[in-house]
Amino acid sequence: MKKGSTKTLRTVTVFLALVLVAVGYYSHVGIGNVSSVGWGALSLICPVGAIEAMLATKTFIPQVFISLVVIVVLIVLLGKVFCSWICPIPVFQRWFPGRKARMSKESIHSASQGGDDSEKADLAVDTEASHVSSETSCEPSSCGSCTTACGKKTSEFKLDSRHAVLGGALLSTAIFGFPVFCLVCPVGLTFATVLLVMRLFSFGETTWTLFLFPLIIIVEVLFFRKWCSKICPIGAFTSLVSGLNKTFRATVDETKCLRTTQGVECGICHKVCPQNINPQNPSESPVTMNNCTKCRTCADNCPAKAISFPLFPKKPGAQVPQKSGIKGTDTLVEYAE
Amino acid sequence: MSEEREQSAGITRRGFAIGAGCSLALLGLGGTAKYIASDPKCRPPGGQEEDGLIGACLRCEKCREVCPNGVIAPAHLEDGFINTRTPLMNFKLGFCDYCKESHEGVPQCVEVCPTRALALPEGATPENVIIGKAIITEPWCLAYGDTGCRTCVDACKYEALELDEYNRPHVIYDKCNGCGECEYVCISMTAASLQTGVTDRAIVVRPVELYEELKGGLA
Repeated sequence: MKKGSTKTLRTVTVFLALVLVAVGYYSHVGIGNVSSVGWGALSLICPVGAIEAMLATKTFIPQVFISLVVIVVLIVLLGKVFCSWICPIPVFQRWFPGRKARMSKESIHSASQGGDDSEKADLAVDTEASHVSSETSCEPSSCGSCTTACGKKTSEFKLDSRHAVLGGALLSTAIFGFPVFCLVCPVGLTFATVLLVMRLFSFGETTWTLFLFPLIIIVEVLFFRKWCSKICPIGAFTSLVSGLNKTFRATVDETKCLRTTQGVECGICHKVCPQNINPQNPSESPVTMNNCTKCRTCADNCPAKAISFPLFPKKPGAQVPQKSGIKGTDTLVEYAE
Repeated sequence: MSEEREQSAGITRRGFAIGAGCSLALLGLGGTAKYIASDPKCRPPGGQEEDGLIGACLRCEKCREVCPNGVIAPAHLEDGFINTRTPLMNFKLGFCDYCKESHEGVPQCVEVCPTRALALPEGATPENVIIGKAIITEPWCLAYGDTGCRTCVDACKYEALELDEYNRPHVIYDKCNGCGECEYVCISMTAASLQTGVTDRAIVVRPVELYEELKGGLA
């Protein structure tokens, strides 16, 4: 089966990032780490760190601002790819799954392979509700007053606890005058731990930090299983911008999807999504499409292979409603004809 | 404050609780880390303003990576929690030549620093960028044991060490910029010791702020 191939690929890219940084540590070329990666004086700085640095020093630092702009452009072009392709935290969470994650994984596994009746019933209960709600709200004709069709909601952004954490981190930084979140950032600490281990072997540098950093990481991401979706301020920043991202968005091919072709409420794409997005019906999804990290788990697990991540949305009229709702409906009618 | 505004924007009660809890934790962390006492440190060139360095340093390790002499080391928990992963000078590993040989006198750590946490003022020269000051612990020094050792004096490029009539080295405070070459080459404890209980090299560079306190000797 090709299933899970992207997962392996993602683990590889995360490791490549770690190895690249480790080679940089060793070879003195100055690659830096994820806090600020680049060559020589050119750097791409972690957006949260960039804002923190300017807030803490109360100075406008041009090179930091430029980096921030470049990061925003990258997020607009690629979405939240950092989260699933570079950040090591989801890999840790996959390696040490919580009880909940293990259980849901089993149920999805058997469901996607046909499963037994009880699990099917379980899935049906889950999806029935979304089906009903989708019927009531997802009819473009019924949205007379709102000119946008329902799909437009996908780019609407929702504030959640992560944004409050980001606010708290920035407030604390502004008050105490140093990048507070960097002290406990699990991403930065992962790379720092790699360096500490390297220095332990090359210089015999022993320090309590070697225990402290892994401890902080374990507490943050293994005890708080929902770190990524509820706490991470980096994710908060990227999700603020990723609403503008229009490329490589998860797209369900209605001609293949079991729901539209056979009326089967399989819902596997929603169940497997680590972000809890429902690709079939993003507007009714508990989490907006802004939080899609393009991990391709839905595409890998779709039994009908109906989900793809096209560079540009293929049929602007049918798949992604256009900015002008009336025009979008026209196109829909044209397609119908 | 900001959380309240977000709540009205549709954040759930649970989400608000998580956000507020974590924000409080971060405020507590910031305050605790800031006000736990931590001694001044010898920082790379351009990091002499401690507030500027701590404020802008994102702990990206670039300065440490590019240093051609390998003198920059990451700070550890033992150096104060707020300092962890920030750059420190470790003169056991190397010394600072302000990149005179390798980079025409422009310190590479300053050049690569992405947030200007390391930034030299206008008109900075190796003579006026003071990383620290050298301090001799006389009982540990081989020269004070009449061995005729003059390793540090020969190494110093700034004529900040002179020998007295008994061939014992003394630091000329105003000329020392804390480049650390004397500490790097000192053979006390690395190659020879005159007494037991020696815990460091006989000549070490310490931050200017600590000089008066430590001048009496570290022994």
